Amino acid sequence: MGVLSALMRGLVRGADRMAEFTSKRGPRTFYKSRGARPTGVLTASRKFIPVQAMIPEFVVPSLEGFNLKPYVSYKTPAGTEQPMTPEMLFNQVLAPQIERDIEEGVFSEENLEKYGLEKTQEGKLFKLHPKNFVR
Amino acid sequence: MRLTALLSMAAKAAFPRDYRYGTNRPWTIAAQRLNPPGKKRRKVFVEPIANEDWHVLRGDTVEILSGKDKGKQGKVAQVFRRRSWVILEGLNTHYRYIGRSGDYRGTYIASEAPLLLKDVTLIDPTDRKPTDIEWRYTEEGERVRVSVRTGRIIPKPVYQRRDGIIPQQWKDGPKDTSPEDTLQKTYTPSLKTLEEEVMEKMNIQEDRRPRKSYWY
Repeated sequence: MGVLSALMRGLVRGADRMAEFTSKRGPRTFYKSRGARPTGVLTASRKFIPVQAMIPEFVVPSLEGFNLKPYVSYKTPAGTEQPMTPEMLFNQVLAPQIERDIEEGVFSEENLEKYGLEKTQEGKLFKLHPKNFVR
Repeated sequence: MRLTALLSMAAKAAFPRDYRYGTNRPWTIAAQRLNPPGKKRRKVFVEPIANEDWHVLRGDTVEILSGKDKGKQGKVAQVFRRRSWVILEGLNTHYRYIGRSGDYRGTYIASEAPLLLKDVTLIDPTDRKPTDIEWRYTEEGERVRVSVRTGRIIPKPVYQRRDGIIPQQWKDGPKDTSPEDTLQKTYTPSLKTLEEEVMEKMNIQEDRRPRKSYWY
């Protein structure tokens, strides 16, 4: 058996050098964050000033009349709706408006913004590309 | 070679082409003891059967043709297609001790041994005698198993979930959404993202825009 397969059979010699060096390893003076975002500003006199805008706030609408719960019952049969594709979205939302405008004779290719098609993502709060929201 | 490359090779070549499958699941410790990564075991020859021609399914009632429990009928508990094995509930058993530790010799249980596919036949449901099976098409175009001797269709066994839950007999708990609420269609397609819709609904005005930043 070759050297490599003999090595793979038993324990591989030596520590794993490519493992991530987190704050759980190293001496106790080694400090490293695990990726939490800061919620304020550290001043020159080492005082931390929390900034309200950097602390995330959950915006939850009122759940009156909301019947959905965390789990789904086992008795539910499989659904019949197809997952939404861009083509289906276009056909359901934009196609009727465009057809109506073509019949009236108002449709023009320069004026596509009125149907909701955006030329650039600049100036928008939630940009589609590059995507700047988590969901 | 780099260490990570070695480790990833060991992880990828988990089941080589001539891996000998046994009754233990391949990821368990017992299977690892029998088939450690470098070991080449004697090859076992199995007549290859295409997936479409396989006629014994889990949950079927079959009769044993040869062996210790010849002539007995039992329900199929497990099927191993790679080795043409079938394990029946409580038949073709040998006895062993399980869970021994220290001085305690363990519990004496009956464990089933696998049977080869050629030692087992399906049973005609009407006269409960063993028959030969063929795959044929019904008039609707459905592919069914038909017994050669009598010509009756053998229905597929009812699928039972491994966790033992029978959906019709399930009682909803406080955190379960009822089927009517789940199947309600409340989605109206629109070009807004969820966040924009929620902002509109709750009348949140956000005029600030994040400062432009660059990354490489």
